Amino acid sequence: MKFLKNNQALVALAAMYILYVLIDVIWWKKGVATDPQNLRNILSQNSYTGIIAVGMTLVIIGGGIDLSVGSLMGLLGVLSILALNKPADDPTKTIAAIVVGVGAGALIGFANGVIITWGKIAPFVATLAGLVGFRSLALALTDARSLTSSSKDLFPGLAQGGIPIPGAVDAAGRPLLAHWPIFIFIAIAAVSSWILNRSVYGRRLIAVGANETAAIYSGIRSNQIRVISYTILGICTGIAAVLQGSRLTGADPASLGQIVELDAIAAVVIGGTSLNGGKGQIWSTVVGVLILGLISNILVISSINPNWQGCVKGVIILLAVLIQRGQKSTS
Amino acid sequence: MKSRNLLKFGLIAAAALMVFGCGSGEASSSASSSTPTTAPTTEGKKLKIGVSIPSADHGWTGGVKYWAEQEMKKHPEIEWVYQTADNPAKQNESLDAMLAQKIDGLVILAHASEPLTPKAKELHDAGVFIINVDRGFTEPVADIFLAGDNKAFGRISAEFIAKQLGGKGNVLILEGVACNVNTDRVEGAKEIWAKNPGIKVLDSQQADWNQQKAFEKMQTMLVKHKEVNAIWAADDDMALGAEKALKEAGRDKNIFILGGAGMKDIVKRVMDGDPMFPGDVTYPPSMIAQGIELAVKTMTGKTKAELKAWKPTNEVVKIELIEKANAKDFYFPDSIY
Repeated sequence: MKFLKNNQALVALAAMYILYVLIDVIWWKKGVATDPQNLRNILSQNSYTGIIAVGMTLVIIGGGIDLSVGSLMGLLGVLSILALNKPADDPTKTIAAIVVGVGAGALIGFANGVIITWGKIAPFVATLAGLVGFRSLALALTDARSLTSSSKDLFPGLAQGGIPIPGAVDAAGRPLLAHWPIFIFIAIAAVSSWILNRSVYGRRLIAVGANETAAIYSGIRSNQIRVISYTILGICTGIAAVLQGSRLTGADPASLGQIVELDAIAAVVIGGTSLNGGKGQIWSTVVGVLILGLISNILVISSINPNWQGCVKGVIILLAVLIQRGQKSTS
Repeated sequence: MKSRNLLKFGLIAAAALMVFGCGSGEASSSASSSTPTTAPTTEGKKLKIGVSIPSADHGWTGGVKYWAEQEMKKHPEIEWVYQTADNPAKQNESLDAMLAQKIDGLVILAHASEPLTPKAKELHDAGVFIINVDRGFTEPVADIFLAGDNKAFGRISAEFIAKQLGGKGNVLILEGVACNVNTDRVEGAKEIWAKNPGIKVLDSQQADWNQQKAFEKMQTMLVKHKEVNAIWAADDDMALGAEKALKEAGRDKNIFILGGAGMKDIVKRVMDGDPMFPGDVTYPPSMIAQGIELAVKTMTGKTKAELKAWKPTNEVVKIELIEKANAKDFYFPDSIY
């Protein structure tokens, strides 16, 4: 029982999934809720937002927020494909695409952090400027054209390849792949979770987020700690951008990463991390990502009129948060 | 303290420079390119024409921006006031700004009809000559209306699917952002589905003109629907996303996709006889260039009074079916879209 009380987000996810299976078994009779391909799709589709949400969790625990990640993802995707398409056709250019995408992400994340801490501009405002600016930069760099990857196999393989799921095949009889981004998402979540809970940096980040003044008095360099969290988020955004570019074999400057920032922040909050900072867990954000992904999947499968889907999604998000709150008050 | 204020001021100034520098850069570059050559008006000064279009938020609007900029460059004798807008409210504001700059004419591709009609009327009443492209106003305020026909888009593409399937088969639908353009296309297609009882529309989802969303929505729909014969997508960006989902699920045999708007990548594949894309329908973003050209031709050399007495004209941009045989007529390898 104590386990359940401490893991409210997981309870909400389990409740939703059980409901999904029941509706499917009793009503639709299509077997979609337990179809391995459908479950794989949910994981695969949401791993990109998930990677960003993990970085976002660290920033929010440190008392910040970053609204620029969606636009930044668009910009980094564009930069990465530009790097990919510049040199002649050889394997090193895929490496160039990764280095440029992730490296520029780290640099811009660092810059965001510096503007917020030493520049003393509220994170909401500083990253709002990024939200507007990065998208415009992506459009300007490409003249609003969408870019196509010139690498035919290697670069697309980063996100389209994967490990075969035992016993599962697709319609053409090929083994069903669990795509690489799923594992990258899990790996990044595991490493970040370790950083947050086991490393000195993690403890300092929590202290800064909980009470920055107290943290400074106890000798923590709070600016440094916060800049690092934005840099990690920039790296995460770069990884997600490169992978999404690989999956779509190109980057569209206008739509790549659009409103990802909202999905990422929503996942963090649904997972139970406090927007006030100082409190939260990586794995609960992972559960938050899965809850959002499951909702989207159910909405498409249930054929609810698309114009109403947003309403239904909003209500379910509120319910998921309420389930958590109810659990908390009884503990 | 002082140095920090200085830093803040510097940052704000830099940011302002970035934002406004970028914004006005385009307008001023098009304006400055217009300094040479002679003034063509009868009233002794340069014609000032406003061009107002939606921002490039997906492939087609990117095409509109491209064609508009190309066409404006061809006419340095005109002083262009050029603005793109994210949404109808912003477009309203940019029209206000254009009115304040005393434009003589306006070429507009409206975000949506209803919210922009009152403002267009205001400009028209103030003596601005209006060329409206694609989406019509709800009142006859345009002097020249170059209409796109989204209903025909839906009808023609659905008819093609019905014919290809021999009047019998299962179809999945991908819609764009909920708006008049999308509704007209979907309604046009529905007229045809109603006439073909053998065609079953299994499911319909919104993918916001977006390749990634189309990919993901189609992945999910394919799990639910095992027997699908054709996909109707409300534009070519989404058609490409649907194709990725089919390939990824190993369902890319005995199925075809019909998108629309004549994206060059799709037209090329129709031309090459790709079984996934047996056809496409046109909805050329270059219609904005036609509108701009019409504005220049009509307004040059006319007095205000002559323009005021102009009888409104209507023209419809023809929507055409692209098939393997005629695809080469619609393939522009250098175009952005």
